[in-house]
Amino acid sequence: MPITKDHQYYDLVVIGGGPAGLTAALYGGRARLKTLVIEKGLIGGLATYTNEIANYPGFPEGITGLELARKFEKQARHFGAEFKNTPVKRVDLGGRDKIIETFRTVYHAKAVIIATGGKPRLLGAPGEEAFLYDKGISFCATCDAASCKDKVVMVIGSGDAAVEEGLFLTKFASKVIMSVIHEEGHMDANAAAQADAMREPKMEFRWNTVVDHFEGGERLEAVILKDTSNGELVPVPVDRCFYFIGYLPATELFQGQVTLTERGYIPTNTRMQTNLDGVFAAGDVRQTCLRQVATAVGDGAIAGFEAERYIAELDVFENQLLQCELPGMIYVYSPIDERSRDFLPTIREIERHYAGRVRLGLVDTYKGECLAARLGAVDTPSLVFTQDGKVVAKTRVLDPDRIERALDALVDHREPELAE
Amino acid sequence: MTEKTLDCLGEACPVPLIRTQKALGELVVGDVLVVAIDHSCAMKNIPEWANKEGHNFEIEEVSEGQWEIVIEKSH
Repeated sequence: MPITKDHQYYDLVVIGGGPAGLTAALYGGRARLKTLVIEKGLIGGLATYTNEIANYPGFPEGITGLELARKFEKQARHFGAEFKNTPVKRVDLGGRDKIIETFRTVYHAKAVIIATGGKPRLLGAPGEEAFLYDKGISFCATCDAASCKDKVVMVIGSGDAAVEEGLFLTKFASKVIMSVIHEEGHMDANAAAQADAMREPKMEFRWNTVVDHFEGGERLEAVILKDTSNGELVPVPVDRCFYFIGYLPATELFQGQVTLTERGYIPTNTRMQTNLDGVFAAGDVRQTCLRQVATAVGDGAIAGFEAERYIAELDVFENQLLQCELPGMIYVYSPIDERSRDFLPTIREIERHYAGRVRLGLVDTYKGECLAARLGAVDTPSLVFTQDGKVVAKTRVLDPDRIERALDALVDHREPELAE
Repeated sequence: MTEKTLDCLGEACPVPLIRTQKALGELVVGDVLVVAIDHSCAMKNIPEWANKEGHNFEIEEVSEGQWEIVIEKSH
């Protein structure tokens, strides 16, 4: 028997409860949006896998990822954000009403923030799982290089990230051993990075090698490499091993709806907008150059703020500007433009003359740039005429006589004649 | 449909995951297993495993640092 799903309505649904999602929820909640965070596992995301976060400002003594996440969550809850701990099964984000479905509930939202993050790609070699994250296998030189001072580290990979991060590690480690799957002299990185790497005395290359398995006690002690040219196993004692073999963004759910990059990330503009209206992305899932707690919270703040603005504008747009009761005239103006300002009293006068027959709307492009775009009005000043909640004419010609003729036509349910 | 509760309070990883796998194995499709945990690492590996296996689940935070994972055996 199929279970009838419960339907619940929110202003904002945030998918993913890591630092980006929690910050977005904090901003959403604080802006009085009815906000829900849906997280499939532990609140805090990838940050909870790190024992010490030393580069998030405000915690000079360092803080564990779990503790930091707890604080983020507490703050988001303080501003009224609600939480649901379950995986999202399906989404439908293309329409006005955004649908997010879990196993028992269909959530409806006006705006959605995707903060699903991702995971570093793993090798799946024996022993790997026991040493992940703070036990010796790292994925982030920015995060962990400082703890590698005078130590021997290994880098897996030979792409841009591997070589550039490997070079960064030479500033700390006594030796950086690069395990490269290709033949001697061949790397996937750009030529300049390769040349720098070859010149760096602290760098050592193990060509034709792949990881066979990992060995150690509490922590990683050695990487056992396999030489692919002869099958020989070569144990290499190291203090830490860094993977730079890619990152897997958690975007399967959104395929076919949200535009993704070739590697599966979500491209956004600086306002965290995706290709879909009312759908934003924040944090590690976004196509970006740095993936840190500090960058995730910044993304989350912008996404939360923009989601609030989107919802507020949608409300103004649908319920005020495109009202259905009366013919409408919308004046799109910029207060910093003199011609715009000077015509405002004339508009007011026309409004008085047509009181009760035509409704005036004002769009200040300084504050409501998106509203003007929604109306299709790119220039200021301009006038947009509506009938039955639909735009019927636009003009940039500010001539009181023509405007009055157009309004007379609208009142009589005739098509207004106007020059663009 | 029956509902079974598994008390894993005070148990560290990987014990809760192993006990969950075993307990779910003894149930039939449609049954529900409620796993009580208070170790954050179990909040990572149990949902991850259930997701991978395709079992539906929801988590309730009973009190701070204590959760109940409600898993429906799907196959």
